[in-house]
Amino acid sequence: MSLRKFGPNDIITNTLKAHPSCEFFIYDSKIYYNNVPARSGAFSSQVLNVPAGHVSLYEYNIDKLSGSNNFIYPFIYKNSSRVAFRGVTRSQFDNVYSYGDAITSSYPMSASITREFMSGAAGTMITRTTADANCSGRSVFYSSPKYPHFYALKNRLNFYGLRSQHYKVSSSYGDKSLQPVNLISIPTIFYGSQIKPGTVSLKWYLTGSVIGELRDTKQNGELIEVSGSSAGSVAGVVLYDEGFVLLTGSWNLNEQRMGLVSSSTSAPQYPVKPQWLYFGAGANDDVNQTTVASASFASASFNLSFKGTTETQVMTMFAHAGRGEANYSSNPTFLNFGQPKLRLTSSQVYEEDGTRTIVNTVSSSYTDYSASFQRQVYISRVAIYDDSGNLLGIATLSNPVLKKEDEDLAFKIRLDI
Amino acid sequence: MAVVNYEPLGATDVTTTKTLLHESIPLTGTIVSGTYGTWPDDTNVKNYTHGMFQSVYDYPYLSSSANHIFDLTVGYTTASALAASLPAASNVQQSKKQNMYTQFAQVLLGYTGSTNVVRNFESDLTLDGAGKMKSAFFVNFSRLLYKDEVKKGTVSITLGTGSWASPFSKPKLLTDASASSTGGTSNTLGGDYGLLYDSTLKDDSVKGVVFYQAGIAVITSSAFVNDTEDFNSGTGADGMAGAYPSRYTPAESLVSASISGSCNALRHRVKNISFNNTTEINSTIYFCRVPHNKYNYSSNPTYLSASQIRVKNIAADTPVTYITTIGLYNANNQLLASAKLSEPLKKDPSNEIVLRVRLDY
Repeated sequence: MSLRKFGPNDIITNTLKAHPSCEFFIYDSKIYYNNVPARSGAFSSQVLNVPAGHVSLYEYNIDKLSGSNNFIYPFIYKNSSRVAFRGVTRSQFDNVYSYGDAITSSYPMSASITREFMSGAAGTMITRTTADANCSGRSVFYSSPKYPHFYALKNRLNFYGLRSQHYKVSSSYGDKSLQPVNLISIPTIFYGSQIKPGTVSLKWYLTGSVIGELRDTKQNGELIEVSGSSAGSVAGVVLYDEGFVLLTGSWNLNEQRMGLVSSSTSAPQYPVKPQWLYFGAGANDDVNQTTVASASFASASFNLSFKGTTETQVMTMFAHAGRGEANYSSNPTFLNFGQPKLRLTSSQVYEEDGTRTIVNTVSSSYTDYSASFQRQVYISRVAIYDDSGNLLGIATLSNPVLKKEDEDLAFKIRLDI
Repeated sequence: MAVVNYEPLGATDVTTTKTLLHESIPLTGTIVSGTYGTWPDDTNVKNYTHGMFQSVYDYPYLSSSANHIFDLTVGYTTASALAASLPAASNVQQSKKQNMYTQFAQVLLGYTGSTNVVRNFESDLTLDGAGKMKSAFFVNFSRLLYKDEVKKGTVSITLGTGSWASPFSKPKLLTDASASSTGGTSNTLGGDYGLLYDSTLKDDSVKGVVFYQAGIAVITSSAFVNDTEDFNSGTGADGMAGAYPSRYTPAESLVSASISGSCNALRHRVKNISFNNTTEINSTIYFCRVPHNKYNYSSNPTYLSASQIRVKNIAADTPVTYITTIGLYNANNQLLASAKLSEPLKKDPSNEIVLRVRLDY
């Protein structure tokens, strides 16, 4: 086997951008991701051991049940590197565990969309009290946001105000701090680096019929109603990079009243008429038939679809087998069987037999007739080495390729990084 | 993030650590036989046309959710008595069984002597040619499960050595209890290996070896000898001697059954396999020192309100900031990474802070 160098034009590195489709269907407080139904296993009611509509990171604990088919779980020993799992607080690390103790966690980790309905005014501040050690334990009053997720997004919303005034927390279209807000969070595992602008679609179904659809037709983040009672109106915005859908549209899509708001929420009163504010009710927000105290909740269903953006760095390598090259194989079957390997060997000389014959692999068109010998090999794999001759990887062909002595071949090898 | 100046990292400010993350891997025996289909045609067990090994998954392998958990095969050396027990023509897949043994031995143990003879697996840590295990079952764990290596001293394999109808009436527990990170293992071509003792007998008899970095367990066929006459149900009368002429003893199975047939028999007798794996996490730790007289001001536009510092009320007070982010820069002042604090940290001229930033690779 001989090594060949890649030339200056033989290695190309580029980025492959893909846009995977992503669809969530929400019905009766259950989420279905890309129309995948819930699958039950031999041990577990959910094969992936995550609720429907969730993705399982690494899909590690398949069809497990504690006691009969135990879960794989991670653990780490407490030591001076002070490494622990994310759920372990510094106080727990210092006080609960001794050095040498195993700190455990659990699999699988999962992700799905989450809806948060900010009723009343999203910017509401509430007063809390705490005992302050610096003040002899006396109560200290302080204000904190009722909906911290809204506060966390205010800077980004104002930043995107350059793209559309509808993003701004406060603009001529109103003040989001004073409005109820419907926030849908989409974890990055579903969309990659960015939600592709122009692909977002939200459909509100009432008893199976679409009563309204929002699309970001302008590709600027505005969610514009394309069908429904107020077509053309903007009902919310999308934060493409951050993976949030923020809805404020409070017009009625239909006049039929139904239970869509959990009874633990102070306002508005129920039942309510379908609005974009209630889009996604039941998506991991503790809203269900029980909490809304109404079977009419099951009349509503929702569809959220978009395309993500993934960027994969791809290295393309062209491995050349030129004419007159790569025409020999060190495979023992390349030579006729039973030939002496050495012509001469002694303490001074080691000489291979130069008269050994090669197996004629040329196919004949006729039975009982051997075709004339031609020097040819079948290339089955291409190995990639670094500058030091270390094997980095092997590309195996699906079928061996015939290489004749007077042929040039180039193998295109793609490596996704 | 607003940066006003840089604080150079000295030689004592950077250190490296290695953390070992472990996972407990329990492999329940019913998964390998009986849960997904009827033995031996379990839908989570894949056989190949070449017939040299079979793959076991944790779920029917046609499902995209299935994970490969291990491969099974059997083999014996050319020097084994099994090779001569039957004429080669009657010895099913003899060359493949010998090739499998030799392949594992070559990769894991290498060669020895002036004539470069392939070493054999042995029931000790010396590799001195004594105590050879000439016929064995090979359990080749998936990299997904054992990650960087199997944690030493955690391997536990419970096999059923009772009759074919009731294999677990005689359970046999194999453990590498004498192996640990500080000893009880030997190093060879395939990495460190330890011995699988028969914990049931408590007589220190070795019934196999486990290669920690390679994730391979080798169980000698004699683990079943003397315990069961009907190791393998076989497929009918084969004229063998013994109490169960229609069934195979371990030796008969290795000779007369196919590789997949013997692997099926082993699967029928696996009660439990468990081990802990290890993942090495290498980290660099940067001790970022915040001197008392620095970083007390921010260029964040929100820091000022009407030309007054927002976070203090009395002009005579010392300046105060809240540190939220640490940027790591290279020698050309190009930002390489930023570390976020879980909560802002108050900083004023009266205090100094050392922030410990860990970068995992």
